[in-house]
Amino acid sequence: MNIALQLDDTLQAIGLRYLFLNYFDIDVDIISEAMPDAADTPSTLYIVSPTSYCRNIDFYAMRRTRTIVTGEGKGMLHINNSESDILEQLRELINVRKFQETTQSAELTQREVDVLRLVAMGLINKEIADKLNISFNTVLSHRKNITAKLGIRSVSGLSVYAMMNGYINETDLNL
Amino acid sequence: MALIYSETRLADVIANETSVIPVINRFGINLGTGDATVDSICRARNLDTDFFLAILNTFINEGYFPEEKLRGFKASEIIDYLVKTNAYYSRFQLPNIRRHFTMLLNSAGDGNSNLELMLKFYQGLENDLMARIERDTKEWFPAILAAANGVTGAAVIEHEEETLVEDKLNDLKSMFIKHLSGDYDLNLCYGVIVAIVTLEKDLRQNNRIRNRILLPVSRSLLQNKNL
Repeated sequence: MNIALQLDDTLQAIGLRYLFLNYFDIDVDIISEAMPDAADTPSTLYIVSPTSYCRNIDFYAMRRTRTIVTGEGKGMLHINNSESDILEQLRELINVRKFQETTQSAELTQREVDVLRLVAMGLINKEIADKLNISFNTVLSHRKNITAKLGIRSVSGLSVYAMMNGYINETDLNL
Repeated sequence: MALIYSETRLADVIANETSVIPVINRFGINLGTGDATVDSICRARNLDTDFFLAILNTFINEGYFPEEKLRGFKASEIIDYLVKTNAYYSRFQLPNIRRHFTMLLNSAGDGNSNLELMLKFYQGLENDLMARIERDTKEWFPAILAAANGVTGAAVIEHEEETLVEDKLNDLKSMFIKHLSGDYDLNLCYGVIVAIVTLEKDLRQNNRIRNRILLPVSRSLLQNKNL
């Protein structure tokens, strides 16, 4: 998860950065007035002061669903409250986002299982592409997703996983 | 954790970060350090305090990497440390994991085929690591030492570091955490996981020393030889 801060008060920004790092293991970017888009990704969450928001109104208006303004009003990040209260607000903020990010399934798709089976049997990417009639890059992207979903990168690790789940037999296995 | 200085008491370091115990052992320092500072312990054992500090700080703080400082140390000093590190892997850590892993498998209910497969997978990665250690001992380290001593004709072998073993350790950890099934001894299982994570961390930290210090040293020795 990417979070960027643009506040008027440097010490405030450092303080928030510390809270994110220490309690949520998230390293936030502190962005300068001049270039708000330096760290922009399609999912970057922005925490900005009202002044910064107004100065870069075009930039933040386009990202308003993922921009939080600091202040005392409703829906704002109440930055002058106690530390425990700020932590509570940050926790809610992150929970909502995390939920949106992880709703995608961790189950392998049928195509990924096809690729996994062939990887586990020791075929190289080029052979897998030919066998399944898909492009080399598609194989790479399937492999990336498989590793992300299973937490397993090495070929022999994938073979073990494939065996555990009955995708291949021991006779196919080459540890 | 805070950086360690020559005036820091070693006992405080160990109390904060017990994973340094095998590291200090490699320098011939045993537990029971009393209130002695890092500097006094090093001087009593004729160790280079700066080198000891650089290794400890590199090991404890992932972000800390005094590249300039480490490059100033002698190749023989770094290799000596890495030889001891390798010996620790092959003599203690790997057999220890294997022994506990086997006990874990024996404790598991009949037909826990997942654990059996995982032990096989572990044996594969153990062989990979032993092969790397063998290459270090027989080829890479002697070649660097010979070149550092100005022996002509000694070929410094280009040595690109693979991360295969680290990847596999990480895979094994994922298998335990995400994909384990069936009955097994919880306590033994935890022991095996801790041992795997410890080895993974040790390898990761020492890879920074191998790849970013010894590899450049070995490359520059090769270049000088070709002048």
